[in-house]
Amino acid sequence: MLQIKGLKAKIDNKEILKGLNLEIKPGEVHAIMGPNGSGKSTLSNVLSGKKGYTVSGNVTYLNENLLDLEIEERAHKGIFLAFQYPLEIPGVNTNIFLKTSLNAIKKAKGEKELDAIEFLKLVKQKAAELKFDEKILSRQLNVGFSGGEKKKNEILQMSILNPKLSILDETDSGLDIDALKIVSEGVNALRSKESSFLIITHYQRLLEYIKPDFVHVLINGKIVKSGGSELALELESKGYESLS
Amino acid sequence: MDQLKIDFDKVIEGLKLSDENINFRKKNFNQFVENGFPNKRVEDWKFSDLNQIISSNIENLRFHSNFVPSKIDEAIFIDKFAHNKIIYLNGTISNVDFNHEDDTKVLVTRDLNKNENFKEVNPLVSLNNALTASYIRVTVKENYSFNKPLIIYNITTKDLMSTALNLKTDIVLEKNSSLKVINLFDDNSENNFINIVQNFDIAQDSTLKNYKIDHKINSNIKYCYNNINLEKNSISENFIFSTGSKFIKNEINCNLNDEYSSAFINGILNLTKSQHHEIKTNINHLAENTKSYQLIKSVLNDSAKGIYQGKIYVDSKAQKTNGYQLSKALLLNENTEFDGKPELEIYADDVKCSHGATSGNLDEDAIFYLMSRGLSHQQSKELLINGFLLDAVEKITDEEIKDLIKKMIGITE
Repeated sequence: MLQIKGLKAKIDNKEILKGLNLEIKPGEVHAIMGPNGSGKSTLSNVLSGKKGYTVSGNVTYLNENLLDLEIEERAHKGIFLAFQYPLEIPGVNTNIFLKTSLNAIKKAKGEKELDAIEFLKLVKQKAAELKFDEKILSRQLNVGFSGGEKKKNEILQMSILNPKLSILDETDSGLDIDALKIVSEGVNALRSKESSFLIITHYQRLLEYIKPDFVHVLINGKIVKSGGSELALELESKGYESLS
Repeated sequence: MDQLKIDFDKVIEGLKLSDENINFRKKNFNQFVENGFPNKRVEDWKFSDLNQIISSNIENLRFHSNFVPSKIDEAIFIDKFAHNKIIYLNGTISNVDFNHEDDTKVLVTRDLNKNENFKEVNPLVSLNNALTASYIRVTVKENYSFNKPLIIYNITTKDLMSTALNLKTDIVLEKNSSLKVINLFDDNSENNFINIVQNFDIAQDSTLKNYKIDHKINSNIKYCYNNINLEKNSISENFIFSTGSKFIKNEINCNLNDEYSSAFINGILNLTKSQHHEIKTNINHLAENTKSYQLIKSVLNDSAKGIYQGKIYVDSKAQKTNGYQLSKALLLNENTEFDGKPELEIYADDVKCSHGATSGNLDEDAIFYLMSRGLSHQQSKELLINGFLLDAVEKITDEEIKDLIKKMIGITE
């Protein structure tokens, strides 16, 4: 599904990613762990198309050159980034935003757009699954949401948009243990043979709930070690120092 | 100026006026002639040089016209809700209809000799005083609330050009009465100067809601002067939706004359191309426990120019005043200009007054967030802009009118 070869990314002339290689196959869950400043968020930004980076290397997604696609085209083709810090958008109703987003993607795929009633039914169902109070959805997007509500809202968007490749950027940060469970259940419910996940995290905690197939250690812009889920436990006890 | 004198004589000749009224008009006429159209050397006009704007947009401005077409395109009337009507057609009152009201509770006069209570506050009001051929006064009797809103249609037709129109409306709310007014412009004409003076006297315990909608794109130059007098425990809610004309300056002078009166002035400037719109307010807190609130949101595209000059004056008698104003502008192009001039002049010591102003571009991170959810750049921009404007629109307390304005902006829910 996704092949990354020799990916380099610079911002303000500072090289952050220094030749990163990674392959994700359909149905796989990959976790990327690493210390602060190792390039984790840059990787998620570059994959979702954020402007401001000078990027080189090859990234192939579903047999297309991902780096040639605009931000919204990547979303149309099934890439979803759950933000570490979801933005507050004043004056934009959450439900309207969700509907606009879903229908933009459906339209791009040539599928029938949902009308208001069909949409509300879908949202109700997904919100209930995530134990997300749907009243929140009539409020302005993320405005005045608690940290946990913002993260749940990201997962709700993910479950409504049903992406092929989901990138979770430190989704566990700022979540208490109950919210972490709910969010993890939401992610696990979306796991299938067709959908893949790239989970970016500092801590092993999240991986207790979402069991990865592979764990990679990102240090100083490169993957220095890859392994199975046991690698996360090893990192937890020994720290990143032993690898750098 | 010679043309102006000739036109003035024609206007006076054509109307049946009392000697007293003719003298009033002559005095005002001379005042205008002395000063002319305001230019940028006049402090209040330093961001909008009207003299220059008129001379570069209108050739051979005439101050007199007998031109009235016979038919109005019915499609321009609002059909979303029932309402009363006053129709100005090319500056002349062509229809007055208060069918939804009790006619013993609403007094209407169109006697041109009655327009003398308008003070000569500035040369444009003087010009209006001198030349107006269309005057209407609506008095809402004590304890009466209008059943339906009043829409004042201001229609110009396409054959009208290079003409100055001077319109005047006087609205009086007696004690414990209420009225909603919508001033709706429908300009089909090009390059005219439209000068509108409106006075509102709001007696004790009364409420006036006044909404101004200048929505249709047109090349006319407009000046609207509103004077509002508020008595004890009365409320004036104003909303200005300013997006249609080439140039418009909305000036509001509001006197909070007695305790517990309050004034709300909210508005939107949504401009493209070389449009140039200004909102100027003077809020005069003249008694204790009075309140004012102003929120102006501006979105500027291309090479548009927006201005908000907001002044709050607090008299030494006006303790416990609460005055607030905020202006926020989105500048979407480097060729746009926004000028904000907040002024607080406070002579009392126990008051709460604040003002704030921001201007900037759209948040790129917010655009990235929306685009990462599949929205196009254009869709993301529109959503953010509408969200930005919604804040001010939500201040409208009348649901029908709020919905009407939301639809005009393109906000969907």
